[in-house]
Amino acid sequence: MSQLIIAVVVGTALGILFQKGRFCFVHAFRDFFAFKDTRVTKGVIAAVALTMIFWSIAYYFGYYQGFWTPEWGLTGLIGGFIFGIGMTYAGGCASGTLYRAGQGYLHFWLVLASMGVGYAVFTVAFPTLQSTYFEPLTFGEGVTLFEASPIPAPVLAVLVVAAFVVVYATVLGREETKKRATSAADAASVTLVPAATLSGIRSLKDGTVEYLRGFREIDDWRAAAKRPWDPRTAALGITAVAVLWFTQVSIVGITGPESRWTAYILQTAGVDAEGYEYWGSVLFAGEGVSVTVDMVMIAFVIVGAFLAAFWSGDFRVRTPKLQRVPNAVAGGFLMGVGSRLAPGCNIGNIYSGIAELSVHSFIAAGGIIAGVYVMTHWMYRDVGCAI
Amino acid sequence: MSSTDWEDVVEMPDELDDETAESLADDADEFQDMKGEMCPYPQVEAKKALASLDSGDLLVQETDHVPSTENVPKAVEDDAEAKVWRSGDGLYRIFLHKR
Repeated sequence: MSQLIIAVVVGTALGILFQKGRFCFVHAFRDFFAFKDTRVTKGVIAAVALTMIFWSIAYYFGYYQGFWTPEWGLTGLIGGFIFGIGMTYAGGCASGTLYRAGQGYLHFWLVLASMGVGYAVFTVAFPTLQSTYFEPLTFGEGVTLFEASPIPAPVLAVLVVAAFVVVYATVLGREETKKRATSAADAASVTLVPAATLSGIRSLKDGTVEYLRGFREIDDWRAAAKRPWDPRTAALGITAVAVLWFTQVSIVGITGPESRWTAYILQTAGVDAEGYEYWGSVLFAGEGVSVTVDMVMIAFVIVGAFLAAFWSGDFRVRTPKLQRVPNAVAGGFLMGVGSRLAPGCNIGNIYSGIAELSVHSFIAAGGIIAGVYVMTHWMYRDVGCAI
Repeated sequence: MSSTDWEDVVEMPDELDDETAESLADDADEFQDMKGEMCPYPQVEAKKALASLDSGDLLVQETDHVPSTENVPKAVEDDAEAKVWRSGDGLYRIFLHKR
């Protein structure tokens, strides 16, 4: 019972935060490749880094229910790539699709339905895929570095985040130096890594101060809350909610529970979903096809997004243009299939998976981002990409 | 172009009130109906349209997609200055003045 209440609270809160922060991973990576827009990318990075630190602390003190660590291998790269292609074509990732379904986009209800078709097709093909795809392409047991590393998890998390900040700041500092460089001599100084790192860290600090100052300049909080939020603000909220979920239930995932919803809906409609190995023995672990807490949680993401959109004046029943229907159908189908082949979606792998330092998710995240990169270049073929 | 620096402090485009938006819409040199469209098509179409307009011309996009109100202005920030009007019921207009 208490888990059910937590599922409702966490789902609703995530829906609100996804909607207000436009927490869409397609946006985060596609717009970075296409025209170097990093607003949403920063939100995603902030959410992953903060969640990593707080989950490591919760794990260290024993306040957790378990990790999600699929066996690792090339499946992550292949499934992730297919998922990345699909979500870029569909125009929304797993979290983006859910929040926009709540915001009234018929396009994304169609994406959801097409993902359901993808889950079902995968499930039917699963016995064959076991021997022809999963067995030859899986190399090792699932592992999280929190458990495998001799270093205490919180120390490891801080080290990983610190290492990332150094790399990020160096890239940032180099870009800035390059921009300022007017002569060949200046351009040569670009290669001075420590200087670039320092200037990058300085501008990271300035950016954070700027972000915090933004709150002080708000005189009408109600009006400000109705406008879109900085994705970094959403990231703070998402971290808080994800910590609650981690200590009480599990990591945050979307396509696993969605695939279970597909089984549940088909079972209700009279199909023997439980008889299929993937649903019966893998996803429901032999406990019968029923509504589980994580299914309740993701359903309430749609509810939360609806509430936030309605209150903000952004709710509207939106009918897609006819020429976008193939995007929803084909994109959604690829998302459904890809997320099962990996396994995991952008939330399971890029958000939760990297935050829990799961080896499988490092590979799958690489696959997803590569898929976005390729598809973005194809969609921007007429005007060209920045990266 | 230096202005596509990926670490620029990002400003949200200025918002227009109903009257200004109404009168400005009459001045549009090109109007694009982007209702029912998904990203990244509005970004791509805005870039293409601006390429064929003259400096000072106004391109108006009408859209029902919230993210477009931010990423269309960002995508064409080298080519155009952007202002946004929000209807309050899920419809938006993006005003792009070519530089």
